[in-house]
Amino acid sequence: MRQLYEAHRHRLLGYLLRRTGDPSLAADLTQEAFARYLERYADREPSAALLFVIGRNLLYDHARRKAAYNDFQEEDHADGKDPESQFLARDECRRLLCALQRIEAEERDLLALATSSGLSYKEIAEMTGNSLANVKVKVHRARIKLRNILDVGVS
Amino acid sequence: MKDYLISMFIDDELDLDEKIEFVETVHGDARVKDETVGLLNQEKWLREDLMPRMAPLPMPAPRRRRLDLGIGMARWWRSPLAGFAAALVLIAAVWGLHPKAPAAVEKPYRFVLFNPTARQIQLVGSFTQWVPVPMQPSGASGYWSLTVDLPAGEHRYSFVVGDGRQMPDPTVLSREKDDFGGENSIIRIDEAV
Repeated sequence: MRQLYEAHRHRLLGYLLRRTGDPSLAADLTQEAFARYLERYADREPSAALLFVIGRNLLYDHARRKAAYNDFQEEDHADGKDPESQFLARDECRRLLCALQRIEAEERDLLALATSSGLSYKEIAEMTGNSLANVKVKVHRARIKLRNILDVGVS
Repeated sequence: MKDYLISMFIDDELDLDEKIEFVETVHGDARVKDETVGLLNQEKWLREDLMPRMAPLPMPAPRRRRLDLGIGMARWWRSPLAGFAAALVLIAAVWGLHPKAPAAVEKPYRFVLFNPTARQIQLVGSFTQWVPVPMQPSGASGYWSLTVDLPAGEHRYSFVVGDGRQMPDPTVLSREKDDFGGENSIIRIDEAV
């Protein structure tokens, strides 16, 4: 377990940071993912894929809670701004992370996994329920979209 | 060649046949070569932007004695106080700062703009007293960058492209109009934790 922790703590944190754009949230989710892994799977053969599945699920749980909260807020305080815009406007959101948040969620997920997790495309395909061919196409599509977002200033 | 072979190359996913196809295509097609180099430079940014900041301070490792306690270890980890303390250390790790270190006066901040057609890009901002400073091209990738040490606080800036066209940073959403009909981007550098 210690080896898994040492080998993947930064990778999981990096993945969650790229997914969320929020360092504090990414750190909290990383901590929670390791805690859950220890709680439920400490006796199993260490698995990076399983760790990332837990981290991803925690992220989706958080997104669902946040969406429910935002729905409630919008009923009371409809101001024309969607949660994504409010999130992106936060001062602490760094530029590259902001650009990543503008990519569609599934493609951002696959690009963040390909970039940060150290998992193979095959492992990413199994984890995300995509075919291997889909992972290849979508990871590349996400890279092109990121480039196009950063490419706005071309004269 | 399928375009996604470029990403498979970046992610070390090509098999031998695909490697042959990729090398032959890159050798014979300048567009594919330029796109590959551009995406590789982007990948450097994507991978390097965050990780060096995490490196200096290791995250807290589980203690062997605690590990032997099995489920008890998990509960200890999840207690509010321990969780909060660990989260603080994690946040410090993200920003590459020791919690007890004295607050840094300035932090290096890397400005980056993609513009493969420009002959010159300059950075101008409140921190340069609005004097244009040339940015450096990153090979033939089309990316221009400049790292500047910035104090904590709010900073305004824009890019001057070629012969004088001023533009805000396309990757920063926070902007304001200046007194000359242009727009400046606004960033905030946080105080060291």
